[in-house]
Amino acid sequence: MHDIAAEAVNFIDLNLVSVGFLFIVGFIGGLVSGFIGSGGAFVLTPGMMSLGVPAAVAVASNMCHKFPKALVGAYKRYKYGQVDIKLGLVMAASAGVGVQVGIKIQEMVLARWGQAGSNLYVSLSFVVVLVVVGGYVFWDAWRTSRRGGEEQVTSLAKYLQKIHLPPMMHFKTANVYISMWFTIPIGFATGMLAATIAVGGFIGVPGMIYVLGASGLVSSATELVIAFVMGFGGTVKWAIGGMVDIRLTLIILAGSLLGVQLGAIGTTYVKEHMIKIVMGTIMIIVAVSRGLAIPKYLKELGLISMNNTVLTVLGVASFITMCLALGIGAVIILGTMWQAKKAEAAQKAEYALEKTYG
Amino acid sequence: MLDFFKKQLRGKRKGQKVASGPGKKQPLTVVNLKPVRPEPGSGSPQPELKRKILVVGKGHTFSAGFMDYAINLAARLDYDLIALNVNPALKASGKFFSPYFLRLRQKFTQQARAAWASIAEDLEFSGIHGQQVVKFGEVARAVEDLSAEIKRIDFVITDAGIKDEEITGEIPLPVFSITGYQGEKIMAPEPVSRKPWGKTITFGAVTAALYAAVFLNGSSVMKYFTRGGWYAALPIATVFVISFVHGAFAHHLWSALGIEAVKRVQPRPEAKRPVPRKRPRPELRLNT
Repeated sequence: MHDIAAEAVNFIDLNLVSVGFLFIVGFIGGLVSGFIGSGGAFVLTPGMMSLGVPAAVAVASNMCHKFPKALVGAYKRYKYGQVDIKLGLVMAASAGVGVQVGIKIQEMVLARWGQAGSNLYVSLSFVVVLVVVGGYVFWDAWRTSRRGGEEQVTSLAKYLQKIHLPPMMHFKTANVYISMWFTIPIGFATGMLAATIAVGGFIGVPGMIYVLGASGLVSSATELVIAFVMGFGGTVKWAIGGMVDIRLTLIILAGSLLGVQLGAIGTTYVKEHMIKIVMGTIMIIVAVSRGLAIPKYLKELGLISMNNTVLTVLGVASFITMCLALGIGAVIILGTMWQAKKAEAAQKAEYALEKTYG
Repeated sequence: MLDFFKKQLRGKRKGQKVASGPGKKQPLTVVNLKPVRPEPGSGSPQPELKRKILVVGKGHTFSAGFMDYAINLAARLDYDLIALNVNPALKASGKFFSPYFLRLRQKFTQQARAAWASIAEDLEFSGIHGQQVVKFGEVARAVEDLSAEIKRIDFVITDAGIKDEEITGEIPLPVFSITGYQGEKIMAPEPVSRKPWGKTITFGAVTAALYAAVFLNGSSVMKYFTRGGWYAALPIATVFVISFVHGAFAHHLWSALGIEAVKRVQPRPEAKRPVPRKRPRPELRLNT
């Protein structure tokens, strides 16, 4: 098993294009995850596979880059006072269970319906979860921005916080006092989604915002703690199997450590609902991308018949849309940062003028 | 003319920034700060008849922001300005006084006179009569002596370097001080940030060396790193080291490029107490 893995990883030849691709995607993925708490993995894993990396090595190397990135991002955002470590650890513990259950379900699906069925299950999960949750996040962000950027705790969170079901937990930074029993399903769902589509944050962050009542900033920052714990656990498992290609990991890390810090800095520049806007946008575009991949799996299962050329075009379109999701997220983040920086410079100039003549 | 000053005093009484001196609870009377107007028909006011502001600094010069403020205030109130440069370090101790001390005193006086030249130009430009006095000794004592020598000093403003306890004593005048560590810092709030290029380059070089070490020995690295089992510690340790070194490089790089966090958006609970905002203008503080 180890020898096979070693042969497989040795097989990959790194060239300038693949290094450049991994570095840039690493940077953009880091930027997005520094800002919204997760992201990047959904492009990196298929991206590496399209470079010829075996699926298991791609997943393992991606996982191995994810936890140091999350560590650096979480540390940075902790310094800005946005991370609730206790909430992160509680969520990560239940997410660990969720991952195991998610893997079991995957295995069951694989045994029953084969690879195509498994792919279809993954894609359908992507589309359903991302359209529902992403749509709600986007709608809420739009509503918040119309209100002038003032975030409000949802009535569901307020209701759940009133229920006294021991053990009650106080999350200081998040400023939430809630029963542990309500955090567990959110963590569990995060883990399950992470095992299924590799991006647990798409359910963890909205869960913390809308169910537990934490702010968007704290939720996205705390998600980095969850990502660190889960990524570390996953990496240990994959590394024991000898699947981590450290070269791929280091190339991605070179970009993503730059990106994650920029993203974390970005959160201090923008209004809180920008996190939701970026998250909602990315989720909806990724859902479209995965939706484009569904016909292929349906055909493989013999449920529909379709021209192969159309399927190839759809496949390419799906991957491009996926990259686009990340790219658009990055453009929004950098754009808002740029605007905030410009406004700050203008204010400084005005102040200097006032100081000189006032 | 007095409106500005009255406003300042009213602001104090509302408790916006309360002085910490012993006289802070006593209400200020604006009456005794009223400048004496020359009698009608007596012609232009004589310089010595005008009321005066005494500005006190401990060095041979005053901080620029402080002096600008004092000149503006004097111009608005139509006061004269007396500048006192005190050097407590060169006070006479006992009967013996060394020639070296004398030399230092001369040097201080020369420096103070030189520094005064540019201030005098500003004063002339603003149409204010100014005078410089250099004294050696305790600040409070020097002010006391001067208030006996020169009449009609209405109040004292001390530069940022002078602490509250240095000026308390038998001074029969209201004393205002510039808050803040240094006058300039209040006047120019944007901090002069030093770009950490040195650290960026150092961490960048270490990062580059680590990457080179891995990629130049690609085959043996891959051989051991993918063995599995306990060898799993190798890739994990590597990414931890890289995340520290490269992370530090990235951190310094962004701050060297001027991209830094602008505010603490979500203060942690212990930091939730309202932090007093640094005011862009210097403040007067009563310390009678």
